[in-house]
Amino acid sequence: MAAGSRGEAPVEAPEPLPVAATPVRRGDRPPVAVWLGGLGAIWLREIKRALRDRGQFIGGVSRPLLWVIILGVGLNPYFRGEIYGEVRFVVPYTYLQFIFPAVIALNIMYTSVQSAVSVIWDREFGFLREVLVSPLPRWLVLLGKVLGGTTVAMIHGALVLALARFANVPITPTKLVQGFGVMFLLAFSLTCVGVVIANRLRSFEGFGVFSNAVILPLYFTSASVFPLNPALTRAQTRVVYPEWLVTIVEWNPITYAVDSLRGIFIGFNQFDPRIGPVVLAVAAVVFFALALRDFRRA
Amino acid sequence: MPEHEPKDMITVRDVSKRYGRTLALDGVSLEVGHGERYALLGPNGAGKTTLIHIVCTIHPADSGTVTVAGWDVHRQPRRARQALGVVFQEPSLDTRLTVGENLEFHGRVFGVPRQLRRRRIAELLELVELAEWRDKLVATLSKGMQRRLEIARALVHDAQVLVLDEPTVGLDAQTRARMWDYIAEVQRRHELTVLVTTHYIEEVDDCDRVCIIDHGRVLAIDTPEALKASHGRTLVRVKARDEVAAGRLLAAYPDGTSANGTIVVPVDTTASVTEILRTFGNELEAITVESPTLESVFLSLTGRAIRDPAAEAEATGRRGARGRR
Repeated sequence: MAAGSRGEAPVEAPEPLPVAATPVRRGDRPPVAVWLGGLGAIWLREIKRALRDRGQFIGGVSRPLLWVIILGVGLNPYFRGEIYGEVRFVVPYTYLQFIFPAVIALNIMYTSVQSAVSVIWDREFGFLREVLVSPLPRWLVLLGKVLGGTTVAMIHGALVLALARFANVPITPTKLVQGFGVMFLLAFSLTCVGVVIANRLRSFEGFGVFSNAVILPLYFTSASVFPLNPALTRAQTRVVYPEWLVTIVEWNPITYAVDSLRGIFIGFNQFDPRIGPVVLAVAAVVFFALALRDFRRA
Repeated sequence: MPEHEPKDMITVRDVSKRYGRTLALDGVSLEVGHGERYALLGPNGAGKTTLIHIVCTIHPADSGTVTVAGWDVHRQPRRARQALGVVFQEPSLDTRLTVGENLEFHGRVFGVPRQLRRRRIAELLELVELAEWRDKLVATLSKGMQRRLEIARALVHDAQVLVLDEPTVGLDAQTRARMWDYIAEVQRRHELTVLVTTHYIEEVDDCDRVCIIDHGRVLAIDTPEALKASHGRTLVRVKARDEVAAGRLLAAYPDGTSANGTIVVPVDTTASVTEILRTFGNELEAITVESPTLESVFLSLTGRAIRDPAAEAEATGRRGARGRR
């Protein structure tokens, strides 16, 4: 199709063009509809990109297998030591059952923090500009991205549920609904943490190293792989375990996420079951605010 | 939206912008009229991209005001953005999405209703000849195709002003020519105002008006013809037989410049050409006379050629590196 000379066509050109030009329409939709549509588009893009990333998916599948089957099965016999016929630990669960909710949290942690890599990606490969010249407000762009990362992380968390039967954790619809609620809050907060990290880093490699350096310590100090003995009083706990470890575990927000998931899936809580959701909801709000502050500056 | 028919689609008034110690823009003012194709011409680093970023609401100006379609870009950036279609110098497509998905994303983010979005996307893909590529990942497209896709994308939301920052950089000559055909065609069909930057001087001849900018200052604004008439000079390109002859020639014409063995001497009358021939005729290998071009306009306004080969190589190299995944 050859370019016609400019300015010769009148406004209501009746002559057929090779392709009919659809009449121009500008700004006749309510802003809320536009915002929801834009939010959906940003969310959908994150999901599509993540689902096309084979590496991320492989990680999401292999991690739970490793943790549940190798570590869980391997440590299972050592979890309940018996001395002179007396059960030493009072946690009335197998190690597989005990670690199962924590592995859900681990898979969510990895995926949600990693999903923030797309923030670096957008900046490096120019796509950020496309979003910045769009009429959407910044907070909505960030919300779309975070919700996208949250959804992907929840999918990865749900992958772990496939191992429930193997770990001898019965799943009921009620447990699923409550579990997804906690998983959402955890994934949302951690995706925001990922964005905060991503906004401070310039390279993908740096992000990989840094995210590992954040995720693993948080995971190990969240009472995920070992319980703080619930039979002991607070004072006794501090005698049995080094004080610094107890303090870290108690201050680590992930502890409460893991505790909530445990309460829901195997009915075991080390802390008041009401604390978990509150801590997570506060974390979600605080970290979103922090992420937004950084994202506005980007 | 209120009844909003501004006379000028883009107005830039006394805009300055400083990056650290560099004054990137120094009191720039210009107006782009409705339906105009307006070129910003200047060498790399002249401040073109800085100005484009301010017009596109990406960076704020230090001082001065800018309006797009009557909306102040600082006070009503979202309104201005709705009126703008932007093709940045650096690629800004998501290469992991398909061609169609990139357009779909844009349409949704700009709030184009579904029906209209579908029709418009099909139409634009047809226009930039990418209809068969709709379901291919953008990563598999050539650079030229990606640029075309970016032009199409900028129009999905019925932009009134199309801004293109160096749309032809990094493309081969044939693709560059074709790119201008597409720009002309979309401008005709969508009744667009087009603001385009380039440092390829031969590309601005078809524009309605040209603004020559260098070191952050506006040097001249006019139609290409008027610029040629007022600032253009006839250029005599001479290839001297040896170094000595070249030296004598440059001594006789101090405003001549020498590059790659060719000496370019701006002259005002054809009488000067005769004079060169009479004095140096025996010492020349070749001589060409060029009637006034925009290149000579630029030369006489800035005292240097627009294209600095080293800077250009660097710019294309950078773009290439970023374009790859």
